[in-house]
Amino acid sequence: MKLRCVFILLIFAFKSFLALAQTEQKTSIVFHPMFGNSILTPNNLFYSLGNNGDSIQIETFKFYISAIELLKDDKIVWKEENSFHLINVADEKSLTIFIPGASNTVYNTISFNLGIDSLINVSGAMGGDLDPTKGMYWTWQSGYVNLKLEGRSNLCKSRNNEFQFHLGGYQYPFNTLQKVILKVEENKKIDIVLDIKNFIESIDLSQQNQIMSPNKQAVLLSEKAVGIFSVK
Amino acid sequence: MKKAVVLFSIACFVSFAFVIGTQTLFYIPKNWPAPQYNFSKNPLSEAKIELGRKLFYDPILSRNGSISCASCHSQYTAFTHVDHALSHGIDDRVGTRNSPALMNLAWHNTFMWDGAINQLDMQALAPISHPDEMGESIANVVAKLKHSTAYPKLFFTAFNDSIITGEHTLKAISQFLLTLVTANSKYDSVMRKLSYFTVQQNSGYRLFQKNCSSCHIEPLFTNLQFENNGLPVDTTLNDFGRMKVTLNKNDSLKFKVPSLRNIEFSYPYMHDGRFKRLSDVLNYYTSGVQYSNTLSPQLKNKIKLTSNEKVDIIAFLLTLTDKEFLFNTNFSFPRTK
Repeated sequence: MKLRCVFILLIFAFKSFLALAQTEQKTSIVFHPMFGNSILTPNNLFYSLGNNGDSIQIETFKFYISAIELLKDDKIVWKEENSFHLINVADEKSLTIFIPGASNTVYNTISFNLGIDSLINVSGAMGGDLDPTKGMYWTWQSGYVNLKLEGRSNLCKSRNNEFQFHLGGYQYPFNTLQKVILKVEENKKIDIVLDIKNFIESIDLSQQNQIMSPNKQAVLLSEKAVGIFSVK
Repeated sequence: MKKAVVLFSIACFVSFAFVIGTQTLFYIPKNWPAPQYNFSKNPLSEAKIELGRKLFYDPILSRNGSISCASCHSQYTAFTHVDHALSHGIDDRVGTRNSPALMNLAWHNTFMWDGAINQLDMQALAPISHPDEMGESIANVVAKLKHSTAYPKLFFTAFNDSIITGEHTLKAISQFLLTLVTANSKYDSVMRKLSYFTVQQNSGYRLFQKNCSSCHIEPLFTNLQFENNGLPVDTTLNDFGRMKVTLNKNDSLKFKVPSLRNIEFSYPYMHDGRFKRLSDVLNYYTSGVQYSNTLSPQLKNKIKLTSNEKVDIIAFLLTLTDKEFLFNTNFSFPRTK
């Protein structure tokens, strides 16, 4: 009898341990920066571009994601409060977002905004990841930079072959905010691949190497930037 | 007794006030519209206002410690930069516009001549970062403040947090700017029936209401909008104003309508400071306005004024001077008590 009790207790303990382990697993979103099949690191590594022997180096790749929501069959089951995250490929820590509040929900879809919405853009000084000291706020014209991608490529006809894409703008007709919706495996930790290869190859770097303000080009590239995200 | 009368009159003409002891730090003058600034996100406190004031006067905000906000916004001239058509900043570099006067900012929701800034908190980022103004970055300003001896304590007193952030730095500067309320000119006392215009000032006021007040709306003396007032383009600057921000050709040559309060001291006039005297401005409005597609509709009918009428209007404009504002020691360089 006594032995049976201990056995049952043990089963319970094991079950709750399993549940705990699972909880830990499914309560984070992890971003995996890639360039095609290679892992993307913002340093001096060269990545080859197209089939003509051209190459590219990435120095900066950072962006905001906001309004994270989890859905089950198109119904919102969880949303993050004050959901603003600056993801910086050069900052390993920023690549994981913990969402412990979502541990007890059942979901199969994640949705978030790429960028900062217009309300926050007109609400004055913000703290945390939104603090203007993070270098993602335009100083000469109010507004957040939603995405920064900087580097060099032999294709760029600019000084030092540099390119700089600062995508932002919250006002019509140059609203650059994008919604990203991804199907995920039910209740698993969410691994999101950030593959910028197709995105970069869709830009004619020989013609275009700079976007620094809200305009039509910024909107077009922001729409394409949605394609950077996929689920592992 | 005298003090009691002063306090009583303040109480009468103030519908909302932020009072500490006997000091009124911010107030909404009677019959004024509601402010645009959202005070709930940055509640005023004496410590924050004082911190903002210290920052406003501190050249630590510039790259080499040579330029403070007050360099281009001096109190005695309604917080603008007189004597220079185009304001100059770090290393004597000259900008492309005349620095705007800083007054009644709580009632504005766009800033700069072209409205490029959408909220008061974010305004200071522009001069701090501009290579011709302070040539610095907010991240580096925060780093310098952190290493200073005085500021960590002041931030702690103000925000209950000794870790200095960009957010708190900008909010403190806003707090000081919000206190810069000017509403005690002769014009204001006439409106409150405490004083009378002279015959000439009165004639000027009537002419002003007829010819100028559709853009320079009382009591702020601006409609807070962007208008093309018909100035010919200065081809050395090619400044098309608001269009640079919106990329909309309908905004070509539009600039924000400036308030006329304290205009006696805020010369030179216009976005590029092209006119030194008020008489130049009035002569321009009667004979210099150039037609273009975006010309303000209010100026499509020519303004006609005799020279005597112009003199009367100037007499009225001088009643917008608020000496209490220009010499208020709460707004001046913070000397240690």
